[in-house]
Amino acid sequence: VSVRAAVIEELTGPDGLRVRDFPEPEGAHPRAEGKRLLVEVHAASVSFPDLLQSRGEYQISTAPPFVSGGEVAGVVIEAPADSGFAPGDRVAGMTIWGGMAERALAMPDFTVKLPDSMDFAHGAALWLNSATAWFAVERAAVKPGETVLVQGAAGGVGTAALEVLKDLGARSIAVVSSDTKEQAAREMGADEVVRSTGAWLEQVRELTGGRGVEVVLDPVGGDRFTDSLRALDVAGRLVVIGFAGGSIPVVKVNRLLLRNLTVTGIGLDPMDRRFPGTTARVSAAVVALAQRGALCPRIGARLPLEQGAEALRILDRREAVGNIVVEIRG
Amino acid sequence: MRAVVLETLGGPDAARLAEMAQPEGAHPMGIGGRLLIEVHAAGVSFPDLLRSRGEYQMRPELPFAIGAEAAGVVVEAPSDSPFAVGDRVAALTHWGAAAEFALAMPQHTLCLPDSMSFAQGAALYLNYATAWYALHRLDAQGGETVLVQGAAGGVGTAALEIACALGLRSLAIVSSDEKAAAAHKMGADEVLRSDAPWLEQARELTGGRGVQMVVDPVGGDRFVDSLRALAIGGRLAVVGFTGGAIPELKVNRLLLRNLTVCGVEMVQMDTEEPGTIQMVNDAVQALVDAGQIQPLIGSRFSLDDGAGALAALDRREAIGKVIVEVRSVV
Repeated sequence: VSVRAAVIEELTGPDGLRVRDFPEPEGAHPRAEGKRLLVEVHAASVSFPDLLQSRGEYQISTAPPFVSGGEVAGVVIEAPADSGFAPGDRVAGMTIWGGMAERALAMPDFTVKLPDSMDFAHGAALWLNSATAWFAVERAAVKPGETVLVQGAAGGVGTAALEVLKDLGARSIAVVSSDTKEQAAREMGADEVVRSTGAWLEQVRELTGGRGVEVVLDPVGGDRFTDSLRALDVAGRLVVIGFAGGSIPVVKVNRLLLRNLTVTGIGLDPMDRRFPGTTARVSAAVVALAQRGALCPRIGARLPLEQGAEALRILDRREAVGNIVVEIRG
Repeated sequence: MRAVVLETLGGPDAARLAEMAQPEGAHPMGIGGRLLIEVHAAGVSFPDLLRSRGEYQMRPELPFAIGAEAAGVVVEAPSDSPFAVGDRVAALTHWGAAAEFALAMPQHTLCLPDSMSFAQGAALYLNYATAWYALHRLDAQGGETVLVQGAAGGVGTAALEIACALGLRSLAIVSSDEKAAAAHKMGADEVLRSDAPWLEQARELTGGRGVQMVVDPVGGDRFVDSLRALAIGGRLAVVGFTGGAIPELKVNRLLLRNLTVCGVEMVQMDTEEPGTIQMVNDAVQALVDAGQIQPLIGSRFSLDDGAGALAALDRREAIGKVIVEVRSVV
């Protein structure tokens, strides 16, 4: 049996992708411990790791030819008896690769039931960013009423973080780099928006009575990191989520000492291996938020499967504001 | 009165026994009025040495008496303070303790039980408040394992004793046989040498997982290995840099393993969260009253050899607190 799929033929980036027939996946996802969860894909989404994988530059990868696409939403076709999923269930989850195809293998631990109110296109963009954002907020122990600065606030994790913070009753200050991104951040519930190209640090201080914010969520890294630390109040906490800005920041730790600052890294997968149940807790929280409408991913571009390569190119040009969704079934 | 006085900022050699006027008024950094102590023993520490050369930002005008901590008997106390004439107390003074009378800061003064000597009292406040607050910020839970860098030093030995009192398992890192003996005496569960493969040993001692916490008053080159010694989800408290060099942290080290690094400085914290100092005082006082703290005395100098006390610090030869005996029976 073969399916239509967006296949990375060689590790040359988006140009190495062809849409063609490809064998339906057998067995289980290699990272699913032998549990076969086969999904009829309605929508897939691609994000930065997909682009890196197309060049062989991501730490988790598989040899070409392979199907691109890190997340899917669709309907369960086959599920292990003890997995909590059954044929016919509407689901959303991570695939790491394999998503841009008519059928894909999902990982039960990284799959959630899609609330009836959410369509497949939004579902395809739900899990990864929302789980990351929710886990970051949990690790920072954000309390209602606290002020949280979100770097890269128009990005996937950033917009999910704005939604999670709104639901929690925290005040958010979004840092963005353009008018379009400012609009996206406001749509997603930012209480305040500042521009990374302006005097954002001073503005953040003004917006917090001169004190600074209690928490920074940083999926960007790069040169702005030191100013993020400066934006923290005494005893403030910064969560390192990733390095979408490219460079990895270096901090001289005396910056932390006198002002009692805390810097925390997050990585859901290692945490779950050490503390089993972490991912399940995060997933349950994400579903609960989605069910009551508090989480609804922003879609920046929708393309048909035949334009799978273009989906990766949009990522490469950094031009989408929101998630890039590939619709497999109309 | 007699005091170890600096008339110039000429370093240890400039300190000499001299007559000076008894201090008037209240300690300039004190809260709550004039608290005058008849000093029996003074503690001298690293800031005293820096201050003797004018290398410490916080210092009074010349001439002034050295001595950052005092233990003795209250001779004058504000009527609304918790202290009364005749009370045995231990106090942080920053300077002025190596004198027959010294002004204490009520907010940094503890009651000294009869079971504890004045010399131990002069070794109490600074190290034990710092160590307790570090473990508090790390949210230490009974049964967890803490690795203590510089474990034979002032903060290090205090951390070992407090770890013991909190039901933690401690791994002490030290650099000599003498320091190993001191760490054992202060309750270390395991003692490792900094010139041995301590990182591998720490992993072996924790079933390959690593420690949950590191208390680091040293900084320097060992910092990265301290991070490596942490288990997934581990926490490191930056307490100071007695090793001289200030470590630089590449924050991707925190990311995947979910590590947390926090700076610890309670006086700054008190401005943000009033009540912090009182909380620390109450906790250390409770440990003192329960007999769970016995500060380590390294060397004792007489009032006419204050220069010798500073010189001992300068040579980094002291294991345990350097004490100046102000009145004969301490």
